[in-house]
Amino acid sequence: MIGDESAAAERAAWLALAAVPGIGAVLFARLVGAFGSARASLEAAAAGQLGGTGRELGIPAPARRAIAEGLEAAATRAGALAELGLWTLTPLDAAWPGRLAVVAELPPVLYGWGDPNVLSAPRAIAIVGTRRPTLVGRALTSRIATAVALREAVVVSGLAIGIDGAAHAACLAAGGRTVAVIGAGHRSPGPTAHRDLVRRAIDGGGAVVSELHPDLPASRGTFPRRNRIISGLADATVIVEAPRRSGALITGSHALEQGRPLFVAPGRPEDPATAGCLDLLAESDARPVASIAHLIDDLGWERQDSVLRARLEPPEEERGWLPGSVEQELARIVAAGPATLDALVTRTGLPPGTVAGALTLLQLRGWVRPMHGTYLAAGPLLAGRVGRAAPSRPRSA
Amino acid sequence: MLATLVTAVIDGLAGALVRVEVDVAPGLPGCHIVGLPDAALSEARERVRAAIRNAGYQYPASRITVNLAPADRPKRGAAYDLAIAVGILVASGQLRAGGEAIALLGEVSLDGSLLPVPGILPMVATLVRAGYGRIGVPRPNAAEAGLVTGATAIPLSGLDDAARVVAGSRGRRARAAHLQVPVRVSGPDRQQVIETAGPDADGARRAPAGVALDGASDPVDLSEVRGQPAARWALEVALVGGHNLLLVGPPGAGKTLLARAIPGLLPPLDEGEAIESTVIASVAGLLGPEARLRRERPFRSPHHTCSYAAMVGGGPRLAPGEVSLAHRGVLFLDELGEFDRFVLDALRQPVEEGRIALARASGQVVYPARIQLVAAMNPCRCGFSGDPERACRCSPSEVLRYQRRVSGPLLDRLDLRVELRRVPSEELLAMDDPEPSAVVAARIVNARARSLLRNGGRTNAEISGAAIVRAAGLDRQTRSRLAEIAEAATLSARGVHRLLRVARSVADLNGEPVVDEPALLAAASLRDPREADPSALAA
Repeated sequence: MIGDESAAAERAAWLALAAVPGIGAVLFARLVGAFGSARASLEAAAAGQLGGTGRELGIPAPARRAIAEGLEAAATRAGALAELGLWTLTPLDAAWPGRLAVVAELPPVLYGWGDPNVLSAPRAIAIVGTRRPTLVGRALTSRIATAVALREAVVVSGLAIGIDGAAHAACLAAGGRTVAVIGAGHRSPGPTAHRDLVRRAIDGGGAVVSELHPDLPASRGTFPRRNRIISGLADATVIVEAPRRSGALITGSHALEQGRPLFVAPGRPEDPATAGCLDLLAESDARPVASIAHLIDDLGWERQDSVLRARLEPPEEERGWLPGSVEQELARIVAAGPATLDALVTRTGLPPGTVAGALTLLQLRGWVRPMHGTYLAAGPLLAGRVGRAAPSRPRSA
Repeated sequence: MLATLVTAVIDGLAGALVRVEVDVAPGLPGCHIVGLPDAALSEARERVRAAIRNAGYQYPASRITVNLAPADRPKRGAAYDLAIAVGILVASGQLRAGGEAIALLGEVSLDGSLLPVPGILPMVATLVRAGYGRIGVPRPNAAEAGLVTGATAIPLSGLDDAARVVAGSRGRRARAAHLQVPVRVSGPDRQQVIETAGPDADGARRAPAGVALDGASDPVDLSEVRGQPAARWALEVALVGGHNLLLVGPPGAGKTLLARAIPGLLPPLDEGEAIESTVIASVAGLLGPEARLRRERPFRSPHHTCSYAAMVGGGPRLAPGEVSLAHRGVLFLDELGEFDRFVLDALRQPVEEGRIALARASGQVVYPARIQLVAAMNPCRCGFSGDPERACRCSPSEVLRYQRRVSGPLLDRLDLRVELRRVPSEELLAMDDPEPSAVVAARIVNARARSLLRNGGRTNAEISGAAIVRAAGLDRQTRSRLAEIAEAATLSARGVHRLLRVARSVADLNGEPVVDEPALLAAASLRDPREADPSALAA
C-alpha cells in the first residue's frame, strides 16, 4: 500500500470496475493483469486507450464503454449499495477472508449484509444438498448442522430450499452463526420462503454474501458459479443428500479442486435420491459420513458431548418439566430418525391417543417438529440431549 | 257436469293439498287446465288423454276445464294425473262415485297404468292430517303410503282399477271397450307385462326396477383395514362427536377402504331422525316398493364427477341433493382434489348452517342438510409428501398450493386431520387382526350416548362455544396447557372451541367425565395445521 489516499483511490476504482456490467471475475483479473491496477484500467479507458487491448482481452464493447464512463457512473451504481445497506469486501481489505485464496477465478468483490468478520471465523463448515430432500435427509442435515454449530463452527450454505435451508435453520436454532452465499444480487436474496431466515441469519451474527452486484438477478450460470465460494469459505464441505446432476455435487467438486476435505453422507444403494452421493464416494476422494461422531472425529474436533448438551438446557422456567416415560421413549425413537404417528404406535404398542398426546407435549417443548405428518427431531433432541439407543459399535455418540 | 277430487303435491319436504275440479260442458272440444305452469299443462293433458283412451274409456269430445286449486301454489311432480283423469271420467258421466271418499295420487302412463311418484310419504301424511284417510296410490307406492299412521292405502294398478275403486259397490262405471293390446315393451329397467282381455283384468304390473340404491356398496368391516392405527382412532373420535374429518395419504394408503367401513360404525337414527330421513328419501324418489322406515344413518359417497345440482339439490323438480340425502349422516368425498370447486363451495351452507336453500324459477325450497363431512385427498400431486423415505417430486410451495386449492373452501370446516401411509404388504401380513366393526361401533355408540345425554341431545360438534367450554370442565392445569397450545398454534377463539370439542369427544371415548390433560393433548395432535409455517417448510 503506497499511502492511505492512494489505497482508498485504488479501492474505489476496484469497486467501480468490479461493478461494471459484463465484467466478472475473469475479465476483471485480465484487466488488472494487463494494466497493473484497477485505477490504471479506468484511466486507460477514460483516455480512450482501451480499444485494442480491450478487444484482445475479450472485453465486450458495451463493457468497454461503461468502463470509460469511469468513476462517475460507478457512483450511481454504488447508490444501490447504500440503499440496500450493503458492505463490500475486496482482496485489498484486511478483513478479506484468507480461505478464499484457493478459489479459482477469485471474485473481485463480495457484497454483504451482516457481519463481514464471520467469514474469517476460525471454524467453518459448508453443508449442501438437494432442493427436494427426503425427511430423512432433512433430519440428518439438522443433526449435522447442530453438531457443528455447537462446536463453534459457522455453517455455510446457499440459502436454497431443501437441505441448504435446513442447515441454516438448525444452525441458528443451536445458537450458531451462519453464512449464506446467494446466487444473485441482494435485490433478489433467495427464495421468498427464506426471507425470514435471512433476517435471522443476520440478527444471529452471520452474513448473507454475493459476488454479484445487487441489481443482478439470478441466471443460469450464477448458481453453479457461486458454489465455488461456498466451498471456498469453509474448511470442509458436507453433502447430505443429492441425486445425480444436483447442483450440490458441483460444490463438492469445487471443494476437492480447492484441496479441501469433502464429506458425503451415503444413501441406500440404487436410491435415486442419493445416487449423486454414492457416485462421488465411488469416484473421488470424498469421505463417507458414517455417523455424526465419525464426522467430528474426521474433522479433528473434540467430542465433549456432555458439555455441549448442557448448552442446550431449557430455560429456567421450563426446568420443572421432565419428560415422562412415554415422552422419553418417543423422543428416543424420533432422535434416531423421522417417524410417523403410526410407526410410533406400532413400535411402542401404546394406544394412539396416548402417543398422540405425548407427541403434542414434545412438540410444545420443541423437541419434535411435525412435517407433513411425520415427526422429526428438533431443538435439544437434535443435540442428543435425550439419550439415544446405544449404537452397536463401541464408540458411542 | 262438475267433478271434485282431492290430490296432493310436494312442497319442499311437506305435502300440500290440491283440489281438482273438472268440468265437462258442451262446446268446442278441447281440454284446458288451469293452475299449472305451461309446460306441465300440455304434458299432463297428453298423458291423461292417452291414458283414458287406452284404458278403454272415451275421451269426451266436449269442452273440458280442469282447475287445480289453489291456483298460485307451485305444483311439481305429476301426482295429480290420476285425479285429473278420474275427474274427467266422472264429469263426463262415464263414472259415478259410489264408494267412500278417497284421495287419489299417481302419474298415469300413456297406456292407462299408474306410475309411482316420489314424495308419497309426506303427501299421504298431509292428506291424512286433512282428514282424508283413504288414499289411492300406485301399487309400487303402497308400502310407502302405509308407513303413515292413519292412512289406508289402496294400491291401484291403473286408471281402470282406480275407476273401479271410486265407483265402489253402488257407483256405476261404463264398461270399458275392448282394450287395445299395446306392444310389449321390454328394456333394461322397465318390465311391463300387460295382460289384456276384459276391463276387469288386473294387469300384473311390476314396478320399474333400478330404484336408486343408497350410494354405498357393501360396507367393509373394520377388521379388514390393517395397520393405520392413528387413522382408525381418529375416525372413532370423529364419529363419536360428529366432527368433520380429513384423511390425507398417497394412493393405495387405504383411505377409501377405511371410509367404506364407516357405515358399519355409524350409530342408528332415533325415531325422529328416522322419519326425517325417510321423508327426504321419499321426496327424492328413493323409497322403492319395499319402502320402510330407514333406521340406518345415511352414508352418501358421491363420485367426484357429481354435478352441482346433484350435490346440492335442484333440477326442474327441486329434488333434494346429496347433502340432504346425507342429512343426519355422513357425506364422504373421495378424491377431494377432483371435485369441481363450485361444488365444494356449495357445501359451505350445509356445513355451516345445517341446511341448504334452493331457489329456481319454479320456486324456492329449503332442505335440511346437517351432515358430517369425511374427505380423502392426496397430500400433493405426486403423493409422496411426508413420506419419510421417498422424496416428494413437488416443491414445498407446490405442496402448499395443492393442499390449499384442494381443501381451500372446506379448510375452515375440517376439524380433524390424519395422515395415512402406504404399508408394505409384508408388514400388513405380519400384523394382528384388528378389532371388528361391531366392537368399535359399540364403543362409539356408548361414548356418543354419554355426550348426547350431557349435551341435551346434540353431538359435541353441534353445541355452541360457550356450551363446550362448560362441558369440558377443565381444571386449572389443563386450562394453562390449553393456553400454551393456543398460543403456540395461534388459535382464534373459534379454534380453541373446536379443539375443546374434539378433546371432549376424546374424553368421552375414554369414559372421562371431564376433559383432562391427556385428552386435550391428544386432540391437539389431530388438529389441521392450517397455516404451515413457511420457514418450517424451508428448513
